[in-house]
Amino acid sequence: MSTNTYRKALESAMHEAMNYHGNTVIIGQGVTDFKGLFGTTSGLAEKFPNRLIETPLAEDSIAGICIGMALNGMYPINTHIRADFGLLIFNQLINLAAKYKYMFGGLFEIPMMMRMIIGRSWGQGAQHSQSLQSLIAHIPGLVVVMPASPQSIKESYSYAIEKYRGPVVFLEHRLMYELSFEDNQTKMENPLFGSKLERLGSDITVVATSVMVIEVKRAAEYLARNGISVEIIDLHSISHPDKDMIIESVEKTGRLLVADTSWAQFGVASEINRIINEHDPSILKSPSRSLGMQPAPCPTAKTLEDLYYPDVYDIVVELISIVGKSHTDYNNVPNKESMTDYYKHFKGPF
Amino acid sequence: MKDTQELLFEALRIRLVEEKIIDLYPSDQIQSPVHLSIGQEAVAVGICANLAVTDWVFINYRGHAFYLAKGGPLPQFFAELMGRVGGLSKGKAGSMHLAAPAQGVIGASAVVASTISHAVGAALASKIKGEKNRIFIANFGDGAMEQGVFFESLNFASLYKLPVLFLCEDNGLAVHTHLKDRQSFNIQQLVNSFGIKFQQILEGYDPTIVMNESKAVIDFVKKNQTPAFLRVKTMRYKEHVGPGEDLHVGYRSEIEMDNWKLKDPLISNQALDEMAAKIRLEIEAALSFAYNSPFPTKADLLTDVY
Repeated sequence: MSTNTYRKALESAMHEAMNYHGNTVIIGQGVTDFKGLFGTTSGLAEKFPNRLIETPLAEDSIAGICIGMALNGMYPINTHIRADFGLLIFNQLINLAAKYKYMFGGLFEIPMMMRMIIGRSWGQGAQHSQSLQSLIAHIPGLVVVMPASPQSIKESYSYAIEKYRGPVVFLEHRLMYELSFEDNQTKMENPLFGSKLERLGSDITVVATSVMVIEVKRAAEYLARNGISVEIIDLHSISHPDKDMIIESVEKTGRLLVADTSWAQFGVASEINRIINEHDPSILKSPSRSLGMQPAPCPTAKTLEDLYYPDVYDIVVELISIVGKSHTDYNNVPNKESMTDYYKHFKGPF
Repeated sequence: MKDTQELLFEALRIRLVEEKIIDLYPSDQIQSPVHLSIGQEAVAVGICANLAVTDWVFINYRGHAFYLAKGGPLPQFFAELMGRVGGLSKGKAGSMHLAAPAQGVIGASAVVASTISHAVGAALASKIKGEKNRIFIANFGDGAMEQGVFFESLNFASLYKLPVLFLCEDNGLAVHTHLKDRQSFNIQQLVNSFGIKFQQILEGYDPTIVMNESKAVIDFVKKNQTPAFLRVKTMRYKEHVGPGEDLHVGYRSEIEMDNWKLKDPLISNQALDEMAAKIRLEIEAALSFAYNSPFPTKADLLTDVY
């Protein structure tokens, strides 16, 4: 079994797009510079000078330029080194890209990709750390995917470029970039629509997004050694999750925790609970719970930042509590630890 | 080049189509906000006379004139306004989102200035593909020049030398607010500061003048594959949105409009009566198509979302 990093998978996806699809254009701030968007676009500008487009700091117009390119036969990949900058394209994304196919009765399609990178830890602060998945997934016409592994990147990016004819937003997570993953052979039929059953279990279902999938897996391994069996669903497609998979899992376990990278209110947690409640709330043996960022903007101070995000300790405590026990009855509960301590590769500044 | 009679015919056709909309509006057959082009027809007709089908126009919510001048079909136009499936966008677009891709009308947005960058992007794609003889028209009103994306688009188009004509239909009003109360900059200086050629036409009432004077700048963009800016002065005769007049409210100059109308070749021109009769027949036939087109049903509600 081979291993790969999240960053390497992104690099491969970008190289394959450029090598094999002559209409692909990568456009965004920094895509041609020496850092190449954390190395994911490095070397491409030399090979494809006309199709790697460095931009002024003008996100609004660049998003519109992407729509114009898509209308004229290109496949634009627009990058945002922090998802927060993506807020500047919401007019084009929501008022135009999301609506062009429907509003014009199918006359136009806008095939394009938005890559937005979520920052976390090492003092990213209030405007370099936001997880905007629920804002974007709220809008009909947009597909929102949060890949949680190199395999997810490999299959969903190529599918978006080769087979899908609409706008797709990929929210990548900075903390995962240098993590190595073992190749997972499970393939999705349509990797833009659906979720992944990441771990089988019988006591509780955890629906997790992005880097939280990894955190929940760490918690699940500890709990497995202590007699609690956790089933993990990697939500993957935020806009189009596999509802049947979620319902089936909760029917089996009777318990639900949603672990999201963003705020719980009006978010992924709300949506997963809607799915269960509109199906049959009686399948829950105990009230569902959610874990996400604290309901405040992200603080920069490390002591506050460590409290702001849920970590493996919080997840373990929550899961033990949901099955009706107390974590004080368990030995060697993981310590509360800073995300930067665990993801040692990520020492900042960016 | 088209002759004056052809151009007047096209301009009159747009005016009579819109006057028909005014007649029909109280009947509620058209349940869509209409931003009428009456008074501004000559701009669309004069510009489009210089364009090929492969030249694209990116328009806005006041888009009837450009849709028709660029060749958008009339029966489907009425069906679209009436919310019927016979419209090119199957009734989902209405008056504010007209498009006719086969004729190079690439969609209208109701958010001011939001298609300007689309023209720039389509021109960038054209450049990447190595095309040499196309032009992309970003059509907007004077209000759009206050949006940030306008400045961003000028910058990008100049930086990458793209075949875009920034075409400002300057009617001097953004809804009810005059240009002098909205803009602190001089548009010619602004455009020139981006290294973009600036031209203006003050006789926006006359389609022949607009055609003749815009030809050079359109040729310039096509030949040099570089952007230019064209301001055409015009006059919106009707209220911002809706079928009515709004002179009586008092925020506009009656004298200014009267002087403009004296020069309007579509007014009090008996030579056009014969044309008008012919156009009216076409309008009746188009309306008949629209009335016979069914309304969309529940089966259409969720199509074309993804």
